[in-house]
Amino acid sequence: MVGPGFRDDHILLIAPGSRSTLAQLGLPESFTPAKLRFPTRMFPGLEEGQYLPNKVHELKEGEEMLLRNGEVMTAGPNGKPIKKRKVDSASKPSTTTQTSESGAAKPTDGKGDTTMADATDDREENEDEGGDDDEEMNGAKEEGANPKLFYEDDDDEEGAVWCLEQGRIANWEAFFALLLHIHETLNPTFHTPILMISQPCWTCTDKERICQFIFEKLKTPGFGMMDSAAAINAAYNVQNSLVIDVGYDKTDITALIDWNIQEVNRTTIPFGGNSMNKHLHKLLPELTEDEIDQLKRSNICEILPAGVPIPGEEDLDRDEVVRPVEPTTIGMGGVTQPKALDEEGDEEEEEGVTNIAAIVASGKTQEYLAKKEKEKADKKAGLAAGEKRLPNYKRENNSFLYVEKVQDSVLENGKTDHPAEIPDGERMDVDVAPTTTEEPKTVEESSISNGADAPPPAASSEDKQPEATTIDTEGSKAVPDTEANKTGPSLMESMFSGTKDDDDAKRAQEKALRREEKKRQEAAQSGERRKEIEVGTERFKAAEGGILEAIADAAHRVVSSADNYNLRSECWNSVIIAGGGCRVKGFKDALLNTIVAKYQVSPSSGTIFTSELPSNIPTPSGTGTNTPQPSAFSSQQPNALLLQAAANNAALAAAGQHHLSIPQPNQGPTSIKVAKIPEYFPEWKDHGFDECMFLGAQLGAKIYFVTDQGANKGFVTRADYNSQGPQAIHNI
Amino acid sequence: MASTPQMTGVLPPTTKPAELEYGGDEVSALVLDPGTNTTRCGFAGEDTPKTCVPTYYGIVPDPEDQKYSGKLKIGENPINSVVDGMEIRNPMSDGIVENWEVATEIWRHCIEYRLSSKIEEHPLLVTEPIWNPLKKREKTTEIVFEDFGAPAYFLVKSAVCQSFANSKPSALVVDMGHAYTSVTPVIDGIPLRKGSERTTLAGQHLTNQLRHQFSELGIRMAPWLTLKNKTPYSDLAAAPPLRTKDFGFHPHQSFLDLQQDRFIHEFKECVSETWPEAKTFPADINNLPDNFRGIADKAFEFPDGYQRRFGIDRFLAPESLFNPSVSPKAITGDLPKGIAEMIKDSIDHLDADIRANMLNNIVVVGGTSLLYRINERLNHELMTMFPGPRVKIHSPGQIPERKYSAWLGGSILASCGAFHQLWISKQEYDEVGANIIERRAK
Repeated sequence: MVGPGFRDDHILLIAPGSRSTLAQLGLPESFTPAKLRFPTRMFPGLEEGQYLPNKVHELKEGEEMLLRNGEVMTAGPNGKPIKKRKVDSASKPSTTTQTSESGAAKPTDGKGDTTMADATDDREENEDEGGDDDEEMNGAKEEGANPKLFYEDDDDEEGAVWCLEQGRIANWEAFFALLLHIHETLNPTFHTPILMISQPCWTCTDKERICQFIFEKLKTPGFGMMDSAAAINAAYNVQNSLVIDVGYDKTDITALIDWNIQEVNRTTIPFGGNSMNKHLHKLLPELTEDEIDQLKRSNICEILPAGVPIPGEEDLDRDEVVRPVEPTTIGMGGVTQPKALDEEGDEEEEEGVTNIAAIVASGKTQEYLAKKEKEKADKKAGLAAGEKRLPNYKRENNSFLYVEKVQDSVLENGKTDHPAEIPDGERMDVDVAPTTTEEPKTVEESSISNGADAPPPAASSEDKQPEATTIDTEGSKAVPDTEANKTGPSLMESMFSGTKDDDDAKRAQEKALRREEKKRQEAAQSGERRKEIEVGTERFKAAEGGILEAIADAAHRVVSSADNYNLRSECWNSVIIAGGGCRVKGFKDALLNTIVAKYQVSPSSGTIFTSELPSNIPTPSGTGTNTPQPSAFSSQQPNALLLQAAANNAALAAAGQHHLSIPQPNQGPTSIKVAKIPEYFPEWKDHGFDECMFLGAQLGAKIYFVTDQGANKGFVTRADYNSQGPQAIHNI
Repeated sequence: MASTPQMTGVLPPTTKPAELEYGGDEVSALVLDPGTNTTRCGFAGEDTPKTCVPTYYGIVPDPEDQKYSGKLKIGENPINSVVDGMEIRNPMSDGIVENWEVATEIWRHCIEYRLSSKIEEHPLLVTEPIWNPLKKREKTTEIVFEDFGAPAYFLVKSAVCQSFANSKPSALVVDMGHAYTSVTPVIDGIPLRKGSERTTLAGQHLTNQLRHQFSELGIRMAPWLTLKNKTPYSDLAAAPPLRTKDFGFHPHQSFLDLQQDRFIHEFKECVSETWPEAKTFPADINNLPDNFRGIADKAFEFPDGYQRRFGIDRFLAPESLFNPSVSPKAITGDLPKGIAEMIKDSIDHLDADIRANMLNNIVVVGGTSLLYRINERLNHELMTMFPGPRVKIHSPGQIPERKYSAWLGGSILASCGAFHQLWISKQEYDEVGANIIERRAK
């Protein structure tokens, strides 16, 4: 090899997943989690076959949108822009859904432009490849050829084309557009090799197609593919392993022996994180899909370890999974279905101060007091406020904060944060109303608030009023500007200090709750709405839809069909559970428990399987020499296995005698363990190892591109590609 | 890596690399090896098949489906999921395809699953047993060209592949598979019909024998999928209640059988053993002679947690391969010949001048040949039968090479340059019809 080869900082890593695609340019000194995360979806562009990273809307007649320079453009007939004017706080336009979205589009515009600028600077030649068409659509632009107005919308997922389905590439055009988009965003130099993590279910032709695209469109000097299971295994650095990669709609199960993927036996089952969503949705049909998803991601959703009863359910021996499709676990316990959403009392309990504020303001104090009485009665049943201090697994009900991306935020100029103007009625039924029905309300309500042109919250300094905003953050949502983000938290601080003075003993606990909320609020962007949703014990049942058993059984099949039977036990001893789908609290343990409970050969008999023959009996040979007297055949002794175990313990000597036969394996697995998490990657420790596939990709890239320099054919070079074509990808 | 790759350092980062685009398109051939238990497929030139899917398929009754009157479930995962009413069937009978519609679907799945989304682009090599009749060979040809639209195709006897895989142009191939154990003499790459024998004493037979043996012992053979959990016990009389799952329906018996096969397979791997000598297996295992030599017990745990030590009874089922009269489950009809007898018959049918060559080149392959110590037994039997000439058994030492021997041979054949003249092209098929196979590939 001539030349210095590739440099660490000139390597592009791409790991496509069903939901999000991870990417990074350059290998850092110490390997880090992926720097960039793209949703694995594209939107159909304006022309046939064109795909854009963001949803593009056409401005309809009479609609207005905000431009970067603070101007508002109104679309006229045929989408032609008819007027421009400056927006000031006094003249708030009567907004429509579409109009306000331009607020969200704003930051993208800038970003898109810089990307394009970079691209133009660095790679003028590439411009004429036609690859940069997408960028031209960025932002609200008036184009000569097309006088219509378009704008991008970050949040709208409607019409999105998801590139991968259960790992398979469902839409090639969109997938390639995504790759192009990633490539353009990162904008690597010409001699940046690319390493892509491949999904196990990609066929050989799929890989060839990708290889062809990468070489012909992205002009890379080197391209490698690393199987996701191999990458995960590399991150853990174990020789033999069983990799269980729980994805969104599928789980890949692969056994690796001597670093090699057992290609024939690996399998992909159609269970993943989304199956848990579906199951939860079945249990909690009143929640929207988005709410379910956030419930699953919240820390109250967990899978309890064996032996820990679901609170309120007597049955310790609870039915893990009854049937794969139809859950029959519903209603197993007596008081398990508190139906929080039907009882306003519960809701209040959760929303706490906010609702008190609301109630007082709305004059519903009488009703409220009645409900407090009801709560006191509930206290006896252990449902009272004090229960909030209990750990999650002991509580029958718990709540999580639902953050909803609100698309119909009001067009604001960034100065008027006036969160106090929310009608009380709205807040009361926040829990009940599904997202869809809420939207029109928000618009209506927003216009009310606009009309009133409320004073800033500091002015309405009664301690109860601003508290409302902590929970129901209409205000911060309504402000698209970053400025609002800054004011938001400090605002809340002041509110909290206000609450402190309150006499009510309950407040103390609720403060903690709200502090947590506040944190999330700070982290969250504007254009969001939060609400608390309380759920019952359903939150412990996310994995009861059959996912654990399905994975366990498939894992057993995969390992049992691994050809090298003596190394099967090694695989069982380093099980790696990775992937985004296994992030649910307790999932990994529960999965391991399921496997152990069903498939591990019981420990009491474990040692017998280490040897075929008792140590005191010489091997019977074909000639009949060394034939001892018959040993006991009686198989029915109660403790047969233990007796034999004791007798057999140290004898392995006989194995070499059977020349013609492949040695017989032992029944297994006798022990199942999770592989040890590698310790020398500090950045990953905090991030968690669910995405360790990306760590493996970095290790792989380092070896293939930097250390090895292609000596072991770890990747396809341009020359290989030119001589062999896309099939070169199979020779690595 | 003939030329130096255009690496960095040679090119400044802003220069676009030279574009010498790849022009030609060389598509690799696919090798399909359909068996009764699994169907193997992969690219020619590789050393193991890429996919190995069960030939068993599930069918969920659905009166609306015109073609199969049910929904087909093909592949490892679908047939291992509990579905109400799903019946497990097999499109093969007698080691050859019986149900062509389903077999075609399975082959297609096998290819499209992980190999290629463009089935019509690859030349296809298919293996067949030697007893495949003309009608079926023509049908295979038709499917490959009409259904798959393959550009080229060839049909090869699996015994030939197996002898090639063991780098022997001439061999007596003993293929111990799932449905059949067959013996085929291959001389210089040509299989001889005369002298080829087969028997059902194979993997499936073993499984059925063991199933019978277990049920005679009173073992509850609840498979993993129907159980919630297990409770370890070793006394059948005091068996704890089964902790079965309630599906709300009863899975079809054929499904349960298939699931039982999974642990029976494990039993075959870990516990079953072949008696290594001819004719010394005790006639009555319950009444052993005093001077009988000891054998080691092996323990096995069943999915429901039952643990049992197996002594001489673990030799019983494998013994029935050689001596069908000891079968735990009596064989109905005529008692077949044992495997060793069959090999002897085959040799006896051959011309005297090639017998020594055959005996010296016995190739034993197939999944059932992985049964512990079966080769020792075969060796012993044959030495006893043919004391004069040198008997030599060749058997690959690697498990995949035994299991995928026919596939591997096909892979070698299809990737060697000379073979390319043998392909039957689509054009030839269009001109002659399905009968081309009889003219071109005997």
